[in-house]
Amino acid sequence: MSEFTDVENNTELQFKFCWVTALRAEATPLIDAFNMKIVENKSLFPIYANEEKGHALVISGIGSIKSAAAATFLKNHLKINDHSAWINFGIAGFFKGPIGDIYQANKVVSKESGAAFFPGLRLSKLIPAAILFTVSKPENGYKEKVLYDMEAAGFCEMAPSFSCNELTYVIKIVSDTPSASSSLITKHLVRELIEKQLSKISDILAEIEILVEEEKKRLSIPNEVIEFEKRFKFTETNKYKFREIYRKWKIAFPSKRLDLSEFLNSQPKEIILRLEKEVLLNAEDWNAL
Amino acid sequence: MIETIFFEEEIYEHPTTERIRRALPRAGWVPIDRYQELFNKRHQNFKLQKKNPALILAKKHDNFVLPVPSGFGMDSHKSFYFSHMYNCLYDCKYCFLQGMYSSANFVLFVNYEDFFTSISEKIDKYNGKTLTFFSGYDCDSLAFDKLSGFADEALNFFSDFPNTELELRTKSIAISSLLQRRALSNCIVAFSLSPAEIAKSLDSKAPSISRRISAIKQLAGAGWKIGLRFDPLIYTSDWKELYSALFADIMNGLDPERIHSISYGPLRFPKKMYKKAASLHTEHKLFAFPMEETNGVVSYGTKIETQMHDFLKSELNNYISENKIFQCTI
Ligand code: SF4
Repeated sequence: MSEFTDVENNTELQFKFCWVTALRAEATPLIDAFNMKIVENKSLFPIYANEEKGHALVISGIGSIKSAAAATFLKNHLKINDHSAWINFGIAGFFKGPIGDIYQANKVVSKESGAAFFPGLRLSKLIPAAILFTVSKPENGYKEKVLYDMEAAGFCEMAPSFSCNELTYVIKIVSDTPSASSSLITKHLVRELIEKQLSKISDILAEIEILVEEEKKRLSIPNEVIEFEKRFKFTETNKYKFREIYRKWKIAFPSKRLDLSEFLNSQPKEIILRLEKEVLLNAEDWNAL
Repeated sequence: MIETIFFEEEIYEHPTTERIRRALPRAGWVPIDRYQELFNKRHQNFKLQKKNPALILAKKHDNFVLPVPSGFGMDSHKSFYFSHMYNCLYDCKYCFLQGMYSSANFVLFVNYEDFFTSISEKIDKYNGKTLTFFSGYDCDSLAFDKLSGFADEALNFFSDFPNTELELRTKSIAISSLLQRRALSNCIVAFSLSPAEIAKSLDSKAPSISRRISAIKQLAGAGWKIGLRFDPLIYTSDWKELYSALFADIMNGLDPERIHSISYGPLRFPKKMYKKAASLHTEHKLFAFPMEETNGVVSYGTKIETQMHDFLKSELNNYISENKIFQCTI
């Protein structure tokens, strides 16, 4: 339980958007648009980031397993917090044109395992939705009325556990169709297709950011609590009790601050008891509204 | 409005599915195998999902009708509940659904006919006994009715069993399907109510108390039996005045003869559910009260519960005979 709101002094920079792309060509327009810099280039998965703007990006390479592994690597390497949005972004085949159209996948199916995923909240006011099949070999038949990629299922298997399913997104730009063969895809074309959608992507991010902020607020631990937990040795049970009673105390007395100097010689249990007492006294004239 | 409909392919041609297809022509339709693959997924965020829930159309295969837990029903005769839907359009802060399901998406079981078959079997089994069937346990009975058309079908079915009661539990004012037909003597339309100020703070997205009271009076005027449900009772410094005023508002101009029953119940949560609800509404005062925990149940505690019980019982006795007043204890 870590659901507090008093975080105004928390200056720690946090990533709001974590991108996972398969190809460098898919990553480059995002790296440029959000002014990201390389932070890790020695491993299998290069990472780019711009902390101030809240963007982090990892290039996974092709394939479902690589996508899951790269997302996990990014999560651990930058210690991404649990309210960030995760976006699998890239190009995809589609049964119809035109190329360059952008879609949100509302159902992702692994053709290999049959597993189905339903990532994200629908952003239908901004972007149309389509079903996406993740295949293990390039698809040139476009037999079904779906998008085809080679990563999203692996990404969807892993990313929801980093924050939640509603902050996991799969967004694809159509690069090849029955009348526009995948053999025509070049780095230059990928860049062009993505750059044309950058303003749409900004709109999408603005929408997702609202959700990120809401989760951040819900999950944030106030500085007062952090200070107390640093200063006193709470057992796990007492830590839970302290956070819970602090939450109630803060709602009851929103303008009061928990002053460390008043508790310098106290034991954790005494701090909890004191807050419980204050909350209980306040409840005698309880206003539930 | 609903933008995405996930449907089990098996029920694509079902008349209820067809009805919804006509009602929501612009929604995106996505096929699934079984609703659980979506509804029971791990790592869902109920609160974020509640912002834009999808509709899942599914077929229910078993457990259509279940006995009510003890402490729920009105009195000794046999009572059952059924849920043609999981989850609700509204977003009450105390709603147990948010603790029960990891998903806020709506599941509508379109095979109403199988619910009715199962109810018929119960009626046959308890031949001659008065049975009551409660709808709206895992949802609100009427909130989704414009789309689902469930109430109409249920009322058609129950009109053939005049000795068997149906209770529709609701906070909704979507009563047109009821007003368009003759009142059914074995149907109770039971409204959940709280003082207006409390409902405004806690019953998010639900119709205001004044609109609910107006719906009650319209239905009573049209001959429907009314249930009044004050559940959960919410404690606040001036609760006595608030509840007294609420009773007066409801009873003003309402024929007491039309009231089938009144029940009230304390605010109680299983411990796990309380934790989950509190974690979703971290800033709400409802979850800041120093609740007591006894045997895994979180409540206001015996002292407050008894005060509220005693007051409600005597206050309600001013309006209606004692044998119509019940306490719900779950
Ligand atoms: S109306 Fe009932 S089912 Fe719906 S959210 Fe409120 S308490 Fe839950």
